[in-house]
Amino acid sequence: MDRILLRFSEENVAEPITSQVILELGIPMRIVTATVNSLGGDILVEVPAVHVEKVIKAFRAKGVVVRFPKLIEVDSDKCFDCGACFALCPVDAIAYDKEYSVVFDEKTCIGSPCGLCVDACPARAIKLVEQHRNNRK
Amino acid sequence: MGTSKISNGRSIAEINQKIKSGDVQVLTVEEMKKLVESSGVEVAYKEVDVVTTGTFGAMCSSGAIINLGHADPPIKIQRAWLNDVEVSHPGAAVDLYIGAAQMSNTQPFEYGGGHVIEDLIAGKEVEVRATSYGTDCYPRTKLDTTITKDDLNQFYLLNFRNCYQRYVCATNSRDEMIYTYMGKLLPRFRNATYSGAGELNPLMNDPDYETIGIGTRIFLGGGQGYVLGEGTQHDPTNRFGTLMVRGDCKQMSPEFIRGGAFTQYGTSLYIGIGIPIPILNEGLAKKTALRDEEILTDIVDYGVPRRSRPKLGKVSYATLKSGEVTINDRKIKVSSLSSLKTARKISETLKSWIENGTFYLSSPAESLPTDSVCNPMRQSDSVTFVSSVAHKAVTCRVNEDIQAVAQRIISKSVNHVVVTDSSGAVKGMVTSWDVTRAVAEGKSKLVDIITKKVFTTKPEETLEEASRKMAQHHISALPVVDHDKNVVGLITSEDLSKLRGR
Repeated sequence: MDRILLRFSEENVAEPITSQVILELGIPMRIVTATVNSLGGDILVEVPAVHVEKVIKAFRAKGVVVRFPKLIEVDSDKCFDCGACFALCPVDAIAYDKEYSVVFDEKTCIGSPCGLCVDACPARAIKLVEQHRNNRK
Repeated sequence: MGTSKISNGRSIAEINQKIKSGDVQVLTVEEMKKLVESSGVEVAYKEVDVVTTGTFGAMCSSGAIINLGHADPPIKIQRAWLNDVEVSHPGAAVDLYIGAAQMSNTQPFEYGGGHVIEDLIAGKEVEVRATSYGTDCYPRTKLDTTITKDDLNQFYLLNFRNCYQRYVCATNSRDEMIYTYMGKLLPRFRNATYSGAGELNPLMNDPDYETIGIGTRIFLGGGQGYVLGEGTQHDPTNRFGTLMVRGDCKQMSPEFIRGGAFTQYGTSLYIGIGIPIPILNEGLAKKTALRDEEILTDIVDYGVPRRSRPKLGKVSYATLKSGEVTINDRKIKVSSLSSLKTARKISETLKSWIENGTFYLSSPAESLPTDSVCNPMRQSDSVTFVSSVAHKAVTCRVNEDIQAVAQRIISKSVNHVVVTDSSGAVKGMVTSWDVTRAVAEGKSKLVDIITKKVFTTKPEETLEEASRKMAQHHISALPVVDHDKNVVGLITSEDLSKLRGR
């Protein structure tokens, strides 16, 4: 499965674009997170890797901005591998490897709708990559 | 001749001789445990001279002494700030102590004394601001300059309490998330945290303090330091020993000494400590083989903000390091707050220092106490708890008429009625104001006017805590509930103001 981030604008958010694409292509998509209101917003979806190009094309044709998202940034110079973040992650995107290094799985992380790990990091090494410019606060 | 010496034990002088000649046998504590497991204690004792330990964790009771050198004209510093972190001024003119937990005026909870120490060690420039009253010999009243570690006469880490032998595992029973010195704890036991390196910890591998004492040379923050004695709150009989240490910051490296920020709690300093354990006798070989499975600690509910927090069970460091603990029959993830990776690196670095002949062992001048106790504070002021102020709550059920509730408010002359279910659990609150509003707006059903999100308190909470909750949520009463969430009373802001007026 590949993850793509769909960004809706104030102009197109009222239209049922996501369901149109699903119906037109007949490709199932898993909505991972969605933060949308009347001003627009983001939907993070997972689609089968083989169909991802087709899906992106369809969304772009309808005026949706599509990106492969970078949801989180970990500063490896600051991180000293304590793992204070580990138990807070609701999707198991943080793990210890055999050397007790803390590793982040960016493909599993759900980013700013969660963000539980960010203020728990004593080294302040974790930053969310801002996804929801339109409708935060 | 070698064998007779072994049976009488090894001496530190002999080990240092071997370090000098390059024949010393050093194992990290993890390698030692494997050797004992595979070949037994006797072989391990014969083959190994020194075992190196390590730990890297937040150690709040830490700080650094610095001497700035005299200004011209000179100043007798009264108050001073380094990068906006106020330092204490324990001695004469230009001696300062930077406490790790002291927070910056401009970036509290994000930057503190620990970060100042890290920045200085990293070679960064730090701003110094100081004020004074001026004397005949020290006329200056204001100072504004920048310094690096090279400008300081002395720059010594001087820590009152470091290197806890073990620590507890923390979790949270409350309905809300809390931020503690044990990190961020999710509501209703949804996560846990622990601290300490377990089987890598220095004191754990010499639990009777046979080799660690005043004057023991150690790895401290990437340089060589010394044990000054037992740390504050040293509690050896409960296996909560601590150390007081000193080391030259100018030798240290930011890899092994880092500022830390704990949201809504404060700042700290992460410190790397490694202690060599000389294997002087077979008993020490056995002790350094101790495994995580054998090191137990308590799971403690930090949701109860009291000195004695409820213990929910015991857990081994082996389980903690697996990342999962069981609390109330549920498996939850547990985070380490200290870095096991860095702890291991410290034990390896110290091993290489000894092997390369750059680190020699020292005999302690005096042993650490093995029988001292850590007493609670003697308090002459009394603290009031919710239980001593709470009174009986007037209650109603969701399906009652507003009329009936209004009558109860009048007959009992109260302002707050707690809505409960058949088992006595809180379902909401109704106030006299809500009833008035119902009349004004023509509402007749109780369910339309009750407040369903109810904040509660517990009998063992302090009044201060309860009043903070009321102020924080702009409410005037808190139902008091027991551990099964059943209503056992009520306290109101009136109760609090009466108490204050007393």
